[in-house]
Amino acid sequence: MSNEFNIKNIAKLASINLSEEEQDSLSNDLSIILEHVNALSDLKLNSQQQEIFIHPLEKELELQDDEVVESLTHDEAISNAPESKDGKFVVPPSME
Amino acid sequence: MDVSHLSIREINSLFTKKEIKPSELYSKVFENAANSEAALHAHLTLFEEENIKKAAEADKRFSNSESASLLDGIPIAIKDNINIKNYKTTCSSKMLSNYTSPYDATVIEKLKQQNTLFTGKTNLDEFAMGSSTENSAFGLTKNPWNTDYVPGGSSGGSAASVGARSSIAALGSDTGGSIRQPASFCGLVGFKPTYGTVSRFGLVAFASSLDQIGPITKTVDDSRIIFSSISGEDSRDATSVINNQLDIPSDNTATIGVIKELMEDGISGEAKNEVNKVIEILKSKGYKVKEISIPIIKLSISIYYLIAPAECSANLARFDGVRYGLRVDGNTSYEMMENTRAEGFGAEVKRRILLGTYALSAGYYDEYYGKALQARKEMIDEFAKTFKDVDYLISPTTPTQAFKSGEKTSNPLEMYMSDLCTIPANLAGLPAISIPTGLSKDELPLGVQIMSKPLSDNSLLDFSEIIENEVQFDGQPKGWL
Repeated sequence: MSNEFNIKNIAKLASINLSEEEQDSLSNDLSIILEHVNALSDLKLNSQQQEIFIHPLEKELELQDDEVVESLTHDEAISNAPESKDGKFVVPPSME
Repeated sequence: MDVSHLSIREINSLFTKKEIKPSELYSKVFENAANSEAALHAHLTLFEEENIKKAAEADKRFSNSESASLLDGIPIAIKDNINIKNYKTTCSSKMLSNYTSPYDATVIEKLKQQNTLFTGKTNLDEFAMGSSTENSAFGLTKNPWNTDYVPGGSSGGSAASVGARSSIAALGSDTGGSIRQPASFCGLVGFKPTYGTVSRFGLVAFASSLDQIGPITKTVDDSRIIFSSISGEDSRDATSVINNQLDIPSDNTATIGVIKELMEDGISGEAKNEVNKVIEILKSKGYKVKEISIPIIKLSISIYYLIAPAECSANLARFDGVRYGLRVDGNTSYEMMENTRAEGFGAEVKRRILLGTYALSAGYYDEYYGKALQARKEMIDEFAKTFKDVDYLISPTTPTQAFKSGEKTSNPLEMYMSDLCTIPANLAGLPAISIPTGLSKDELPLGVQIMSKPLSDNSLLDFSEIIENEVQFDGQPKGWL
């Protein structure tokens, strides 16, 4: 496993604006953690099949029936918005 | 007699016999809170005033012999990552400091149906990420046994509250040990049920395939009562399962496995001694005890710190300054989002989001997240094989007693290692419990962990109660009551 990473690039992907100081300290922390998790690369696995599963008991996840059920009202859903107008979320422009 | 020391069943019996009223118990736990909160900071918010009316209603039900629930009038503390309608849910994060939940979590709905009272919301490591409750944006929680030490985490506020008797029991959440580790550090019982038996609807998600709600209590029976009240399939949680319990023996026809890998280097002599003490008791009662080996357990921390951050990076993408929570201005939506997340998240949350983002990013997915998924599957298979030979697995709950505040904050990996014994149960979805068994030479509690196969929660609780009765741990933190 390789431990080379570009902290600025990862922060961009994660949408977190990091200060120079944070970039240094988090780079250092991530290097130490990644070095530890590299132990996995030595693991000889019985199965080479990479299974994507979500449920540890491997319950099959089912789609719900398309039924109207009780849920939050519009007002409740928007009640915690930092900024709203006419029942809609307000955000800064997406393009400069 | 101090009623706040009693178990739920004992309290209910006194209510039923009209020897004490729920409102008197409610006053007593708030008196305990008044004596302990300034030093311990177990609760972020206390609900005293708003529940006085509900306590009086409970008085009336018992006075008229109309109560049908063991939890009626019992004051329970709730970890502040579980939603209670019309109350704040902060997750101990600046990001959610002003968030008021418009709905109840399923577990809260169920407790309300039982007429449970809530003492308030308890402190945690931000978004449940941590092992000491030192990562809270709203200040540390201290261990009620000795305030120089951490209460454990992330459900440290819940454990400290039950320890100081400012609640009779508490709900926590456990992603890698966050119920069992603080319970062990505070001399309490902490139970993480089988994954899926308790709905996660209304629990703020950290790592969805690992998160599970469960109780922190003074006794095993209290955990049993709460588990039976909050469990059950829920259509609002796609991962919830029908709670069809398996019956496995809890008497001395059961076989106990001692996990070799959790009795080796990295585990303190004191922690091993507690396990050995319980093993001797079980042998004397006629149980068959044997050493078993699950080598992949040694890789638990590596597997967990790829899977949990990967899921956390996806789950916490929702905190973008648009629909709820903090917003920090920016010229564009994207700038606003980056500034909001920079300001709203603390250091540990950022560390895990970045680690998860990296593990899932193009070019690294297969070697990190993919490999961790394969290893997790292998661990699940190894546990399944082991449970063909043994009924229960025993280990220490934590490698050491509680550590001092500040001792591990500068080294994230050292902090992560404190969850070595608890993480495997989350990776494999197993039920697991921590039972207090003794005190260290520093007079701090130590516990043992028992695990069993999925959906054998009730048998695990029965077996744990046998150990509890044999060990007779009756230690209590001093100075708060």
